[in-house]
Amino acid sequence: MSFPFGFLLASEPPPRRVGAIVALAAVALCTLIVYPLAHVAPVVSLSVVYLPAVLVVSVTWGAWLGVTTAVISAAAFNFFHLPPVGRFTLQNSDNWVALGAFLVVAAMASSVAELTRARARDADERRREADLAAEMARLLLRGNSLAEALPTAAARLAQTLELGSAAIQMEAVEADERTVAFPLREGTRRLGTLVVGADTSEANLRRLQERVVPALEALLSAALEREGLLGGVVETAALRRADTVKTALLRAVSHDLRSPLTAISAAGAAVGSPSLSAQEREEMASVIQEEARRLSQLVDNLLDLSRLEAGAAEPHRQWTSIEELIRAAVAELSGRPGEFALSIDRDLPLVMIDAVQMERAFVNVLENARRHSGGYPVSVRARAVRSLAGARRLPTTSDGDAGEHADAQRARGDRVIVRIVDRGPGIPPAQLERVFEPFYRAGTAESGHRGSGLGLSIARGFTETNTGSLHVESLPGQGATFVFEFPLEQPAPEGDLGVPASAVGSNGVRAPVSPVPGGERTA
Amino acid sequence: MLVVDDEPQIVRALKVVLREAGFEPVPAETGSQALDLAAVRPPDAAIVDLVLPDLDGIAVTRTLREWSDMPILVLSAVGEEEQKVRALEAGADDYVTKPFGTRELVARLNAALRRAARGEAEPRIEADGLEIDLAARVVRRDGQPIHLTPIEFDLLRALARNRGRLITHRKLLAEVWGPEYVDDIQPLRTHIARLRAKIEPEGEAGAGGFRLIVTDPGVGYRFSE
Repeated sequence: MSFPFGFLLASEPPPRRVGAIVALAAVALCTLIVYPLAHVAPVVSLSVVYLPAVLVVSVTWGAWLGVTTAVISAAAFNFFHLPPVGRFTLQNSDNWVALGAFLVVAAMASSVAELTRARARDADERRREADLAAEMARLLLRGNSLAEALPTAAARLAQTLELGSAAIQMEAVEADERTVAFPLREGTRRLGTLVVGADTSEANLRRLQERVVPALEALLSAALEREGLLGGVVETAALRRADTVKTALLRAVSHDLRSPLTAISAAGAAVGSPSLSAQEREEMASVIQEEARRLSQLVDNLLDLSRLEAGAAEPHRQWTSIEELIRAAVAELSGRPGEFALSIDRDLPLVMIDAVQMERAFVNVLENARRHSGGYPVSVRARAVRSLAGARRLPTTSDGDAGEHADAQRARGDRVIVRIVDRGPGIPPAQLERVFEPFYRAGTAESGHRGSGLGLSIARGFTETNTGSLHVESLPGQGATFVFEFPLEQPAPEGDLGVPASAVGSNGVRAPVSPVPGGERTA
Repeated sequence: MLVVDDEPQIVRALKVVLREAGFEPVPAETGSQALDLAAVRPPDAAIVDLVLPDLDGIAVTRTLREWSDMPILVLSAVGEEEQKVRALEAGADDYVTKPFGTRELVARLNAALRRAARGEAEPRIEADGLEIDLAARVVRRDGQPIHLTPIEFDLLRALARNRGRLITHRKLLAEVWGPEYVDDIQPLRTHIARLRAKIEPEGEAGAGGFRLIVTDPGVGYRFSE
């Protein structure tokens, strides 16, 4: 809906100079118009011709110019039209009436116009604020991260309110010489602070305090609550998933525990029977022992797993020989000769790991490999890998060469790699990661269901706790290779040592006597 | 044979096994009861559970060691590695992990008793084709002498004289290098590796575990019988 003459109420009036020119021009125009009209109406009543000029100027340029125009109009009317023409006549009451009317019109029109303009400005402002509020709500309440949305919201605030700068902080911030700080609170709880430049105008500061801060507080509090709730939703979903897993675990565990218990129970009952032959008694006895061993192994695995999951499997590290661990693991699996074929590098460097934990990891993986190898020997290969960059000259620092040497070695990725290869059916690519999940069983006919499904996940858990890594490479039909990797932390001793040096490091491990001159490593 | 365990089923089973092996089991349910019994009639050896209602196995071991050299075997459970090592350092000779194989228990018990009986007088040790002449400081395999450095020989001697028994890293380091070096595991590992390379029978390298020097991961070594 467009209003005629609506352009007069533009919020930014044209400059005064223009107003003065228009006023003079309008008065001149009105004066000219009176001449022809004088023929059809009495001159004294034609003062009203000047009214539009006064109105226009008053409405457009306000009271001062309007009053000026009124005075000029009265003067012009007086001079050009009131007899005696050509002279200012002050006694004539027509003159004063006209002037009075013009002045009243000027005053009223200009003030009404100003009021309207002010109201329009106000409405505009409120509309902009409403838009801003809506946009802030969108930014703060719909985004994913409150912390990320705050700078954008502050920028929009500054832009809309024409502030120099603005920032919304989530903590209590003090104002300094360059800033003004508005605390944002919810009741007594401090939510954050709105910080604007100290160059912000008084009016804006007041506006911020009265209108922006309360809205921001409400939005921020809602956004925080939403974040909290979202977090709760995620946690609930995780808990529910964990519950499902737990139920599945319990079911699996209960079955695995019950089988050996049933066997033991039955054999135990049978052993007491008087009609048993000596051989049968021996059989029962060995069943009890064997099933008890299986049960014990399962319990050990469950304990290991739960300790790993609870993060309670702190490794007790010592310098350990991987070769020793592998052979100890093989010995523990006490198989028939030829089940395992070992190929271990001479002088494999020592690694700083928990021997007990890693031995169990090796036992688990070896046993798994043996079970799947279908009678073929399991090959175990261990070697140390050093990056070829070893020949590069290293810059020496005041720390001593050995320290720099150690850091550089770590960066070059020296490690010990153990590969355990079986010749079984292999693992499909989709399962390569899943085999390390607790209670995951391959479930193929050849492997049977003897395994507890825990061994590999425990092996990986222990390996990672000891800063190593375990993964599997396999193709269906071509067996599987389990690969352990242990980073080498320090140059492990390989030279002839004879009598050990007496310097004991802070962790109880002697700093190696390095062949590099001046190489006493700082602990 | 003193048997200290607060679980009656274990005691019952142990009594049977020990009797079969030719021992006379004397049961005790608590640490203090065990110490009292031991004081009245000193046993030849003791089997002590690490976990007891009053004192723990470590305290019992320590107290027994104050006045006796009798072989002490501790019973530990999985997850009690630290206590096991502490018991060994408090003076226990060896350990078995519950649930234990009875054969293993008896073997370790016998090894510990034999060591106690043997004393110091033993000039020659033979094991699995290896001949160790302690007096002459010579080692031979099938008649062929093997050259060992002095440290390697001392290590071998420490292991062989305690064969069948567990020796912790610290004990080995203390015996071969000296008490100040009990924390330096690295040289121990290195020398054991070299020793093994020299004395382990050929052909074992590919097949599996070491036969002569057996690793007890995280705890120590044993020289097999």
